[in-house]
Amino acid sequence: MARKNCLVKNLEAVETLGSTSTICSDKTGTLTQNRMTVAHMWFDNTIHEADTTEDQSGSSFDKSSATWVSLARIAALCNRAVFKAAQDTLPILKRGVAGDASESALLKCIELSCGSVKAMREKNKKVAEIPFNSTNKYQLSIHETEEGNENSYLLVMKGAPERILDRSSHIMVQGKEQPMDEEMKEAFQNAYQELGGLGERVLGFCHVFLPEDKYPKGFAFDTDEVNFETDNLCFVGLMSMIDPPRAAVPDAVGKCRSAGIKVIMVTGDHPITAKAIAKGVGIISEGNETVEDIAARLNIPVSQVNPRDAKACVIHGTDLKDLSQDQMDDILRNHTEIVFARTSPQQKLIIVEGCQRLGAIVAVTGDGVNDSPALKKADIGVAMGISGSDVSKQAADMILLDDNFASIVTGVEEGRLIFDNLKKSIAYTLTSNIPEITPFLFFILFNIPLPLGTITILCIDLGTDMVPAISLAYEAAESDIMKRQPRNPLRDKLVNERLISIAYGQIGMIQALGGFFAYFVVLAENGFRPYDLVGIRLNWDDRSNNDLEDSYGQQWTYEQRKIVEFTCHTAFFVSIVVVQWADVIICKTRRNSVFQQGMRNKILIFGLFEETALAALLSYCPGMDVALRMYPLKPSWWFCAFPYSFLIFVYDEIRKLILRRNPGGWVERETYY
Amino acid sequence: MASTEDKVVAKQENATTWKDSFYNPRTGEFMGRTASSWALILLFYLVFYAFLAGMFALTMWVMLMTLDDNVPKYQDRVPYPGLAIQPNSLDIIYNKSEPLKYAPYVQKLESFLLSYNDTEQEKNEECTRGEYFLQDDAEDMEKKACRFKRGFLSLCSGLSDTNFGYSEGKPCILLKLNRIIGLKPRGDPYITCAVKKDEPIQMQYFPREGSIDKMYFPYYGKKAHETYVQPLVAVKLLLTKEDYNKELAIECKVEGSDLRNNDERDKFLGRVTFRIKVEA
Repeated sequence: MARKNCLVKNLEAVETLGSTSTICSDKTGTLTQNRMTVAHMWFDNTIHEADTTEDQSGSSFDKSSATWVSLARIAALCNRAVFKAAQDTLPILKRGVAGDASESALLKCIELSCGSVKAMREKNKKVAEIPFNSTNKYQLSIHETEEGNENSYLLVMKGAPERILDRSSHIMVQGKEQPMDEEMKEAFQNAYQELGGLGERVLGFCHVFLPEDKYPKGFAFDTDEVNFETDNLCFVGLMSMIDPPRAAVPDAVGKCRSAGIKVIMVTGDHPITAKAIAKGVGIISEGNETVEDIAARLNIPVSQVNPRDAKACVIHGTDLKDLSQDQMDDILRNHTEIVFARTSPQQKLIIVEGCQRLGAIVAVTGDGVNDSPALKKADIGVAMGISGSDVSKQAADMILLDDNFASIVTGVEEGRLIFDNLKKSIAYTLTSNIPEITPFLFFILFNIPLPLGTITILCIDLGTDMVPAISLAYEAAESDIMKRQPRNPLRDKLVNERLISIAYGQIGMIQALGGFFAYFVVLAENGFRPYDLVGIRLNWDDRSNNDLEDSYGQQWTYEQRKIVEFTCHTAFFVSIVVVQWADVIICKTRRNSVFQQGMRNKILIFGLFEETALAALLSYCPGMDVALRMYPLKPSWWFCAFPYSFLIFVYDEIRKLILRRNPGGWVERETYY
Repeated sequence: MASTEDKVVAKQENATTWKDSFYNPRTGEFMGRTASSWALILLFYLVFYAFLAGMFALTMWVMLMTLDDNVPKYQDRVPYPGLAIQPNSLDIIYNKSEPLKYAPYVQKLESFLLSYNDTEQEKNEECTRGEYFLQDDAEDMEKKACRFKRGFLSLCSGLSDTNFGYSEGKPCILLKLNRIIGLKPRGDPYITCAVKKDEPIQMQYFPREGSIDKMYFPYYGKKAHETYVQPLVAVKLLLTKEDYNKELAIECKVEGSDLRNNDERDKFLGRVTFRIKVEA
């Protein structure tokens, strides 16, 4: 898992991930690259396109307007990002930046179009700042300036466009301040809608020159008590950035969907941006509409749209606050594609609880400190490795080392694979119980000499069966692993009646017959024909009986016939090894044919050779007759169990063929474990 | 409010009790399966096991076909014969004055020797002493057996002394080599007995010197050699008053041939150790 950039903190989490039915994913940084690039600007009532090409070959926009100068200045000053040292030779877009994604984008954009940001910042020294916080959704800073009114302070603010607009009483057009009117507000909304509708992150910028009389030079700005005006600012413009989705995400979301996993987007970003990204990655698939989309298409009010027609929905954080538990459950149950936008971290926890109430196994991704409750509450919490806070990494069960959503899919696949392979290994091991127990049962019921002794049973359980059983854990995934529904943790058990039915009732019985056949062959070829064995037990085990007669009239001492009995144990043991060859090959797959799956599991092949070599060693090594009472076998006795081994293979291949051809049929219901 | 009440009622109706796992009256399921489901699965297993039984029978039949009627395929586990005694108890304890105590031993000896009666032995052949009685060329024919009359055991034959010496405190023990098909011991095999720890006691062997004649070999198996009788050696323990009430451990071995009698693991290969205690 670590090789695939998935750091697992506790291993049970991987199995839980395999039964995940819902993933609540963060947007920025998980689904997207978090590499913002400024794409559009809106000022002077026009949308301008920025040059996003790497080498400045695109057309540049008109930089003559004074509004642009102000906008660029705000973008440069109200910004904590800086270029890393010693990168002057690199092209601007390739330079490393210390700072968050949006600010880095702004920095690069301004550096490209206006020249050195560093110089700009030196000319306008910062005296105070209020950093960004998720409640206010803005940040501001106050700078000394020489421009315009000499020696006054410039307050620059940037943040969520609607918050910036709320605090603006004026708007700058062509460099001149004008009071804000309804027409301007509407133009703003249209621009905001359009840019947001493109899936871009829109930031609003505003400024105000603080009047010198109220704020003379040397004024002590208090950022905790806020002893200055933060309203009645002058709105300057919008800049929008694209944070492109990660390349592997649409594919990963598609895989989740076909694996029956619901993907829910939960983000603090704007609903329109969220919806656009959701459409881009496939969380809202083609052809699925929200109630708003249907209303827009049919030109009817939203209230007239039948909610059942909309499979997708986008829910705003403010609406979420007003929902009751039942309404929340309703939404989660009736929509297959959900996006929660402008949510607070507390609401994330509510969403997770809602999903869990409906019985889903929920995986949650998060990177912030206030994601920790949701990460803890989730059945499996996934933290970001690079951009995640230490608290979120502590709270999480799994860490994505490259912040990539596609790694979660890898984790899901791995989790399902673990569960599947565990089933296979258990089925393999349980099967050999029947040929180990039936000899003793028949010994008691039919009074025949003991076919399989304790030492040989141990040789199977602790010797030859170990490597093949473990090798099944390394089995590759069967082709349908990501096309099945997630496991229902209440109903789909690891060991179910079907597994027992196959292992004990079917394959185990064939194995037992193979062993008994070898037993009867050894005894018959030494002189004790099968019919004469029934009822012989008391005499056979009597130490004082040293002239026991066989089917040919010969008489055997106790030791002589015991050697034959131990040879039978060895032959039964070897027969179990032979039939377990077939068993391990059929347990490789639960649905696919072995020919489809291939024999690429090298450990399994090694296991087959190792168990055979061990069996041969135990039989033929000098001294085994004294140490373990296991005797060399005549070569023909190795082949006694071959027909039964072959039968196991053929029977199971046919069963799996019927299973594949008749999905949902009787064979699948009764034998697909 | 109404909806919550409805929910409670509905829940009570749908609640499953533990009894439902045995027989669920609503769905007609017995132990989790309907009757038709049971019928199908039992039918499947019936057919499956019938097929397996058939396959097992077939493989067994094929194997039995490959076996010879007269000779076992492998005899490497019985290269040398064991030695066994009659009466077949390794601990012989009795009081010579109480007939009930030694009656079981006497009866066993008597019933064992029935097949050695003259009436039975008349059917067998008088063979040449000191030579193997080879009948290999007479394929597919019933092999003939050599005579061993009861009289060869003289005092221990039970003819003159019907108590086989038990009543007089001088018991007879019969010794025989295990039958092995095709066995041809080389040399001149004879049985000799000795007391294991204490002073030796006098013993008498019948036939003379406890020898086993080579004419009784080879044995051709139960089917071909129906009338075969094993050569016997009788040893009469001539116990004296000092030997009564003492537990004597006696070991008898076959000597004078290539038959093994000193195997470390098998204490009954070519020898036998038994304990005898005569109370007076």
